[in-house]
Amino acid sequence: MNEAGGNPYRIYRVTWIILLVITVAMLAAEAFHLPRFFLIVFLLAFMMVKASMIGGNFMHLRYERPSLAIMVASGILVTSLILYAFISGETHHILERLSN
Amino acid sequence: MHASEAAVLEAHWGGGAAPFGATWQKTMMWIFIVTDGLLFSGLLCGYGFLRHIVPVPWPHQSEVFSIPFIALMTFILITSSMTMGTAVTAARLGDGKRALRNLIFTIIGGLCFLGCQAYEWTHLIEEGARLTGNPWGPPQFTQAFFVLTGFHGSHVFSGLVILIITAIRTSMGKTPAQGVEMAGLYWHFVDLVWVFIFTLFYLL
Repeated sequence: MNEAGGNPYRIYRVTWIILLVITVAMLAAEAFHLPRFFLIVFLLAFMMVKASMIGGNFMHLRYERPSLAIMVASGILVTSLILYAFISGETHHILERLSN
Repeated sequence: MHASEAAVLEAHWGGGAAPFGATWQKTMMWIFIVTDGLLFSGLLCGYGFLRHIVPVPWPHQSEVFSIPFIALMTFILITSSMTMGTAVTAARLGDGKRALRNLIFTIIGGLCFLGCQAYEWTHLIEEGARLTGNPWGPPQFTQAFFVLTGFHGSHVFSGLVILIITAIRTSMGKTPAQGVEMAGLYWHFVDLVWVFIFTLFYLL
């Protein structure tokens, strides 16, 4: 945690500042009404950067064994994708059948 | 079971004392975080689906919410995560005073966040927001809002309870560094979930 004998608390302040800057950039992108496609790509990309910084620096995943980080990240990401595919495809189909 | 069979099972499935190179407490905490993350993942997927199927236009968030106020809530939560991280490291380094001070800052941040959320809910309910309908369009909009922010708020509340207990025990010198770290993992998770809710519900 204490990289190269430096200030062990510095990583939290640096991460905090970066997170705030990214949040302001996201708010600015929304306020300036970027084209919808670019807005979605921009916000999703920055959302993932913020999530990675919180997981890596605040939750110390970057210092853990890679197997733990992979278990956490892949577990949530893959299941979310499968879940969304299931909800948007299968549930739509079921709702259509119920309404007919 | 023969001794040789047991040895094979142990070699293949035992995982050793620490399969992830972490203590069992930390491993279990991470498994809990993954399962809790899947709960929010399901809620966010459900929200995405609802938004996709409603036949009427989804309300523009900036016309319903005060985005600067939501930004303030985000700032409070991110700041509380920074103080929590500092508390964890201080506890690990044996600096109990700094750990306690930062735990108290984190608790204040959590209380401010919950206060902001209570204000936001009250304001919207006064304007007519209900689980069954709202003045801005599809009822699914406020359903998603109350469910997502309600579940998140309940996590903030339980995180605060854990933090207050941890702070009291730290002040008495009874919480080991790992106890502060476990509380910290949960608090950062609450912050992590907000990153997704903030982007997917309030901005997109």
